Amino acid sequence: MNGVPVLSLIVFTPLAGALLLMLVPDTNHRAIRWIALATALTSFALSLLLLGYDPAEPEFQFREDLPWIEAFGMRYTMGIDGLSAVLVILTTLLSAVAILYSWEPIRIKVKAYYATMLLLMVGMLGVFVSLDLFLFYVFWEISLFPMYFVIGIWGGPRRIYATVKFVIYTMVGSLLMLVAILAVVIAYAASGNPVTFSYEALRGFAYTDTLQTFAFVAFFLAFAIKVPMWPLHTWLPDAHVEAPTAGSIILAGVLLKLGGYGFLRYNLPLLPDAAVTFAPIIIGLALVAILYGALVAMVQPDMKKLVAYSSVSHMGFVMLGAFVFNEQGLQGAIFQMISHGITTGALFLLVGVIYEQTHDREIAHMGGLNARMPGFAAMFGLFTFASIGLPGLSGFVGEFLVILGAFRYHPLVAAAAMLVVIASAVYMLWMLQRAFFAVPSDWMRRWWPTLRDMNRTEWIALSPLVVLVVVLGVYPGPLLEMIAAPVDRIIEAVRGAGMTSLGPLW
Amino acid sequence: MDMLDDLVTLLPELILATLVLVIITADLFISRADKWILTPITVAGLVLAGVACFVVWDVNEVVYSGFYVVDDLSVFIKGATIVTGILSALFAPSYLLVRRIPLGEFSMILMSALLGMCVLASSSDMITLFLGLELMTMPSYLLAGLHKTDRYSNEGGLKYFLLGSFASAILLFGVAWMYGLTGTTSVAGIAAAVDGQMSAGILVAMGFLTVGAAFKIAAVPFHYWTPDAYQGAPTPITGFLSVGPKIGAFALLIRVFAEALAPLRADWLAVFLVLTVLTMTVGNVVALIQVNVKRMLAYSSIAHTGYIMAGLAAYANAGDAEVAAQGIESMLFYLLGYAVMNIAAFAVVGMLQRDTSRFGGLNSFAGLATRAPWRAAAMVLLMLSLTGIPPTVGFFAKLYVLLAAVEAGLAWLAVIIVLNAALAAFYYLRVIVYMYMRDPEPEPAPLDSSPFGSAALVLSVVGVVVLGLFPGAVLEIIRTSAASLF
Repeated sequence: MNGVPVLSLIVFTPLAGALLLMLVPDTNHRAIRWIALATALTSFALSLLLLGYDPAEPEFQFREDLPWIEAFGMRYTMGIDGLSAVLVILTTLLSAVAILYSWEPIRIKVKAYYATMLLLMVGMLGVFVSLDLFLFYVFWEISLFPMYFVIGIWGGPRRIYATVKFVIYTMVGSLLMLVAILAVVIAYAASGNPVTFSYEALRGFAYTDTLQTFAFVAFFLAFAIKVPMWPLHTWLPDAHVEAPTAGSIILAGVLLKLGGYGFLRYNLPLLPDAAVTFAPIIIGLALVAILYGALVAMVQPDMKKLVAYSSVSHMGFVMLGAFVFNEQGLQGAIFQMISHGITTGALFLLVGVIYEQTHDREIAHMGGLNARMPGFAAMFGLFTFASIGLPGLSGFVGEFLVILGAFRYHPLVAAAAMLVVIASAVYMLWMLQRAFFAVPSDWMRRWWPTLRDMNRTEWIALSPLVVLVVVLGVYPGPLLEMIAAPVDRIIEAVRGAGMTSLGPLW
Repeated sequence: MDMLDDLVTLLPELILATLVLVIITADLFISRADKWILTPITVAGLVLAGVACFVVWDVNEVVYSGFYVVDDLSVFIKGATIVTGILSALFAPSYLLVRRIPLGEFSMILMSALLGMCVLASSSDMITLFLGLELMTMPSYLLAGLHKTDRYSNEGGLKYFLLGSFASAILLFGVAWMYGLTGTTSVAGIAAAVDGQMSAGILVAMGFLTVGAAFKIAAVPFHYWTPDAYQGAPTPITGFLSVGPKIGAFALLIRVFAEALAPLRADWLAVFLVLTVLTMTVGNVVALIQVNVKRMLAYSSIAHTGYIMAGLAAYANAGDAEVAAQGIESMLFYLLGYAVMNIAAFAVVGMLQRDTSRFGGLNSFAGLATRAPWRAAAMVLLMLSLTGIPPTVGFFAKLYVLLAAVEAGLAWLAVIIVLNAALAAFYYLRVIVYMYMRDPEPEPAPLDSSPFGSAALVLSVVGVVVLGLFPGAVLEIIRTSAASLF
């Protein structure tokens, strides 16, 4: 369409930044931080160009297509639709926020840290813009290892256990997905088509039921581990608790979205029959995740763990919305992904603010913070309400749409999901009350003299999220418009689908 | 005149043979302090031999009354052999010199082993095949035991020698049976004679050949010599032993099973499937519990043998020639990629053993990232490549094998491979954990930083990434090579 490879620029700007960092001396922390931030902001600014996406046009836009490994039909194909566009922008924004937030907390191996964060950006952005399954897989794996280092090097006391668990979990899923990708590609080629990894070519093909079942399960495992879906979520609380704050922001804000994106981009349109057949099971799992996450969050003594389990619950909504296969559900799922990225990212950032001062996250240790840190308390309150889904904030729109979609699928499903909205109010408000309004614990009193409110860096890092959480809550129209076309395409793909050989299992 | 033409087709072998003599002679005249000069001589000779491979590319002739074949398959294997040789020749000297292991002997023996691998790759007759095999393995025994004053090296060398000779004898016995049954030792002759002629006798012969070959590639349960031989050998030599003889042994496997016994592939497939699954799984599971990096890499090399064998299984199970070719191609690509990454990985272990009393335990890697950031980064890439993570050659190699397996209808084997790869991730990543996430030991061993070693490390890392991201050119070569079988 236009000559400038916008997507490549967005994806590889951070790589250039990481390479540039290699030339800076280790000790010049100031230059390192500024270069990293400037890189992330450049990538963010470039990603805003994607707002020029035309929602009326159903095909992928900003396409780039170059031959790569021709022997196997692998091509360097990139392109976006509304779904990728919003996730790309979310990624670049949250990365910039995370990099800015790390300004003071990260004091060791600073250069390596920022280079790793920038490489992480490359992987995540690449996943969202790839239209070639091989390219997608390469980026998918590239997004895994930087996080492994971020947790493993800059994390908490049990970081090694947490990071190895994270990697092994994810690898099992993604390697099985690799086999499934190959199986799909080979099945497509076996019927006389040229060998290709092109997403656009592969998605329209009618695969046999056996292949769909196998491939669906493999894709499902890869994405469900990433989301994470109950009962494959056990790596998440460990990873979050041990990760440094910026790592948690990215992990919750973007990495989990890779899973949700995978479902919407690959599982549904590529293997619609299996998706429809397995939908009831997945909806069941999603409901369990929603309930389980909320219930477990209630009893968490650690702030970060609480937010982590609330993620399990919120991402359950994404899965629920994705598999009820109607417009409201799917729009809600995507909206919920964006909203969860913003609110949970912000909540982790806020937990980081207090953790940096007291090196403790026990809710029982806090209390009365409102008196010493009013600005902090106000922000924490705002995002708590966003997380609960208060109307007027972004969390409401997503949850509401998902529940609406679920209602159209089956009223009981909607009712079950609805219950959890109450539960989430319980755990979030209870945390807010204990940490900010209760009588300060003796432990907290010791910190009293040194406790400070949010500093300038923290405010700057948080402010874009504050704006977005309100704007998206009050005026979700433009975002919904952007994702309308991709949602229609998915619905089109699954309409009338269903596996014949397995018959009606339910 | 005819004789002379035939001679040209042997150019790489002739250069290697000459190199052996040049090194022996030069060694006599170089003073002890200047022995390093042997390294550039060796490498220059190898580069020359590599160039010679291009001369014999696309020749595709059977020479010397059917005893020797110069087809593209053999030329590719020779090329991979020479790459292995160059890297080994560059990595080894500083490790050897500090231990007073004579460099001249090492270089000469290494060249002989390479010559054996080249002969093996080109044999179109069981006699040549056995000759090449012995020419490859005899020097390998010597290399394993090269550190004469070290008892581990002695033990490893001796075990390798005893079990290796035993395996050679079994293999030879299989060849003898085959000769008795078919009346020929020629590869093509055997293929023609056994076509559709399955009998108890052939089964016995095939059994002996399988066992002998399985010993040579260190397939489970014929792998017991590997860990000791690999651990005992001087570390950079271990790198060579884990790769060089493996390339040779797989060349043998291709010649015997994919050529001579190709008509019977439905009959040997089942045995190979069992061996494949056993090899990769046992290799990985045992590697998990190793605390010595050399031993860990030794077991992991058994696992990699399993992945390569999966290519052969894909070949045997394939429905048509194109898919069968893909099986062979995946083996060739894997061998090349594995050669580059594994030699380099062992070399990094060797660099940490500058102090001769250190044994390459995981602890020696602790905090390497702060002590030697570039070498640690290189090791990360190598470990990721061995795990099979993009954008490295290890990933593409594994992908190729998976593709071949799935296409040949062995999707279940592909699943076993990837589960194994995830298992392997655990121990490869442990090295990274030590390098990046732990503090150095109180008195870390000094690091070796010879220019040759560093240059070779840079070469390998560049190779690992370039072959991983842009394998296109090599894939073309491999396709042409594998096509000479069909």
